[in-house]
Amino acid sequence: MIWDEKISEEIQHRLTVFGWICFLIFTLLVVRLWYLSVFQEEWYKEKSERNWLRIIPLQALRGSIYDRYGKVLAEDLPRFRLVLLEGSMDVKEAQRKVKEILGEEIGFQVKDMSPGEKVLIEDLPLEKVIKIEERREELPGILVESYSHRFYPAEEVLAHVIGYVGRITAEELKNLSSSGYEVWDTVGKGGIELFYESLLRGEKGYRKVGVDALGRVRSVLEHSPARLRNSLVLTVDLEFQEYCYHLLQGKRGTIIVGRPTGEILVLASQPSFDPNTLSGGLTTQEWSRLVQSEKRPFTNRATQALYPPGSIFKLVVALAGLEEKVISARTSFSCPGFLEYSGKRYYCWNRAGHGSVNVERALAHSCNVFFYNVALALGPEKIVQYAQKFGLGTPSGLDIPGEKASLLPTPLWKRQNQREMWYPGDTLNLAIGQGYLLMTPFEVYRLLCGVATRGKIYRPHFLQAVLNREGKLIREVTPVLEREVNLRGETWDLLLKGMELVVTQGTGYACRDVPVNIAAKTGTAQNPHGKDHSWFGGFFPVDQPRVVFLVMLENSGDGSGEAAHAARRLIDWFLKYRGLTDEER
Amino acid sequence: MRNDKILLCLACVLCFLGLVAIYSVDPAREAGWSMQSFFGRQFFWNVFGWSLFIFFALIDYRVLVKLGWLWYFLLLLALGAVLVFGESDETGARRWIFSQSVQPSEFAKIILPLFLSFYLSKNRENIPSYALLLKSGFWVFLPVGLIFLEPDLGTSLVLLVVWLGMLFISGFGRNHFALVGLGLGGIGAVGWSFLKDYQKERLFTFLDPWKDPLGSGYNVLQSQIAIGAGGLGGQGWLSGKQSQLRFLPARHTDFIFASWCEQMGFLGGVALILLLGFFIWIMIRIARHAPDLEGKLLASLFGVIFVFQVLVNVGMNMGVMPVTGIPLPFVSYGGSALVVNVAIVGLLYNIANSGRKKVAKCRFRWDYQQ
Ligand SMILES: [Zn+2]
Repeated sequence: MIWDEKISEEIQHRLTVFGWICFLIFTLLVVRLWYLSVFQEEWYKEKSERNWLRIIPLQALRGSIYDRYGKVLAEDLPRFRLVLLEGSMDVKEAQRKVKEILGEEIGFQVKDMSPGEKVLIEDLPLEKVIKIEERREELPGILVESYSHRFYPAEEVLAHVIGYVGRITAEELKNLSSSGYEVWDTVGKGGIELFYESLLRGEKGYRKVGVDALGRVRSVLEHSPARLRNSLVLTVDLEFQEYCYHLLQGKRGTIIVGRPTGEILVLASQPSFDPNTLSGGLTTQEWSRLVQSEKRPFTNRATQALYPPGSIFKLVVALAGLEEKVISARTSFSCPGFLEYSGKRYYCWNRAGHGSVNVERALAHSCNVFFYNVALALGPEKIVQYAQKFGLGTPSGLDIPGEKASLLPTPLWKRQNQREMWYPGDTLNLAIGQGYLLMTPFEVYRLLCGVATRGKIYRPHFLQAVLNREGKLIREVTPVLEREVNLRGETWDLLLKGMELVVTQGTGYACRDVPVNIAAKTGTAQNPHGKDHSWFGGFFPVDQPRVVFLVMLENSGDGSGEAAHAARRLIDWFLKYRGLTDEER
Repeated sequence: MRNDKILLCLACVLCFLGLVAIYSVDPAREAGWSMQSFFGRQFFWNVFGWSLFIFFALIDYRVLVKLGWLWYFLLLLALGAVLVFGESDETGARRWIFSQSVQPSEFAKIILPLFLSFYLSKNRENIPSYALLLKSGFWVFLPVGLIFLEPDLGTSLVLLVVWLGMLFISGFGRNHFALVGLGLGGIGAVGWSFLKDYQKERLFTFLDPWKDPLGSGYNVLQSQIAIGAGGLGGQGWLSGKQSQLRFLPARHTDFIFASWCEQMGFLGGVALILLLGFFIWIMIRIARHAPDLEGKLLASLFGVIFVFQVLVNVGMNMGVMPVTGIPLPFVSYGGSALVVNVAIVGLLYNIANSGRKKVAKCRFRWDYQQ
């Protein structure tokens, strides 16, 4: 018992000491707590503020583009890339770990993407994606991200119409920043892609991650995937386009086919480029090589190149002459092979002469002398006035950007721009579509459309319909009558008769023996830099035109030759595979 | 109010605060009252623990103390099993058996005090003596060594401190402690070579966390930022960037104090510290009033365990103690620890009750002696 009590006493004493030790410990803890949360509050608050959310944008999904039969012209294809959320891991370490998991050497293309993300590998093959997804626990901060890559299955065939996409430039960004574009966005760079950017542009997604004061990603808090908004259906007939594009093979030129009411079925331009390589991101070197190429592949020869239209312009002269009653159905001129005017000889293309020609025969055989006479009687202003009635000289409002307008020269224009007076020779040149007159093939095509509809000018368009996210039709483009050229019926009748004779008796013999009546006109444009440009355009069937076509080949000589033959082949193809009645498959 | 009642109330309040704190940072809060959420599981452990409490409160602690050797060997067995069949956790340490549900090292926190009070009361004639010091030291170092090998630096430290506390409470003198200091210094030098790299790193970063802010210093910095950002009044229940945005690691276990302070501020933190302090003061009072040596030793050893755990955990949250993975009693998430703590409360309640009866007698005897 004595032991017990002695120990007990000691223990009571020690417990008192222990109590004081505890008191001291707890006092120190409280003091430290006060120091941290009251005394140093500001400092730590600021540290905590820097622990914050980071929003990592996800590239928007761009709408698809289809041809009139639903064939894909452009679409965003999913690809996978390996993304490292910055700050979660060192790039070197990440590469080591990825290599370890893939179990093989792999090329890393480390580059900055949107802020806060680094791309490790672009276009990761699917089997590697699976390998990484299986072991994603071991790779915190590394994500497999799907992204879209713009794909153009038609490649070069439709490049000028569709255009391409690319990273937004500083200048574009300045203009577009109000609509929510940002530095890393992709935008349309030409053609439909550019013109309908606002429709094709998708909704951006984002990923919200929590990042700490030290820059490490702690958690993914929110994820909203990118979505697409609209898809477009074009009036283009891809199969027909392909056929026409290959008709141009090896040449420079363009083929345009469409409906007189504005739909465009084919717009082929050679030489072309592959939009896939452009959307994939070219090196500066490749880019400048393409742009500076002597072949100028980026020029849309249908809308952006100006040529003298040659004899096709005689249509305007004939119309003006008939309507102004300078000539009538019975008016004839004699063609000895040239016209002598104030002591100078202006030749017909046929030096042997055409003999006595009326307006129909003049069109059919493209007699220059006949139109020299008409033009001299009309004067240049009247001719240009008629051309303008068809909307020539002003952009048509076609839904691809960069369209150029024709140059319709008048004495006033010449005085202002060339500081020279207008000579009668200029009028004679204008009569046969030469001299200062320059037209884009597309404006020539529009002229043909206007003739085909007997003066009803519809707005040309590529867009046929807009689809929403679910693929439902939300907007359909209907023909828009832009202007009307009111001429006497007799004028139209005579002109169309003449154009019909072009095929049956005249320069358009290449298109004879086709099961439909074709109205057409050849053109051979003299080119000071080389061989003549070859034109051939028209429409069929004559009484109720459904298809308007135009072929223009640079440096291919006579319009009745290569251009007419190409036209013949496309007409044959169309009648065989599309037909006139059953064309809306 | 009597000690036993106050103790019970404090333990209940602490458990409740623990649930509240775990709920506030539960990563699986949406799962609600189910075994998927952390607070749901903690609630289950509370229910289980408090039913154990009844058992420990009713059985006379002297019966349990008398079975000291049995507990001791069961503990060695369990710890041995951990080393042989144990399951690893995310740090690579093997601490668990029974599919990560039981952590035997936690039970050492109740068994070692039981054994030591048994062993000392049995050898009370030899207090204080070098022989007893060495012998008790031997018995303590067996389990401590096994836990250290898991490795679980925190718990082995706690147990070592239990032994030191025992030496101190039971009246060992300066010379004894000098010897212990020498011995521990030697062992420490040897043990250093056994430390895993991450443990050494932890000890170093404690000295200067900014040296490696992204690596081993990260936890310490983030928890200090959390506490500092809480300010005087806190950012409010369920708010606070550090804990809610998951910048703070182990925010429902080791660093729950920091997330609590971010939400409740200095005032909430002090309240929690004072509650814990009050709880320990009650434990010391129970020890003082315990009727026999076994009770006194048992209660004071539990007191030592609690103080040490609170000191290390709260200190580590505030960046003044190394990160050792010692949980905050009652508050940190963790089933084994909670059950053990509630069982300890049961034993203390038991001691306080029997103490009350004896104290009456003592006082009578004391009066009589005077
Ligand atoms: Zn002639």
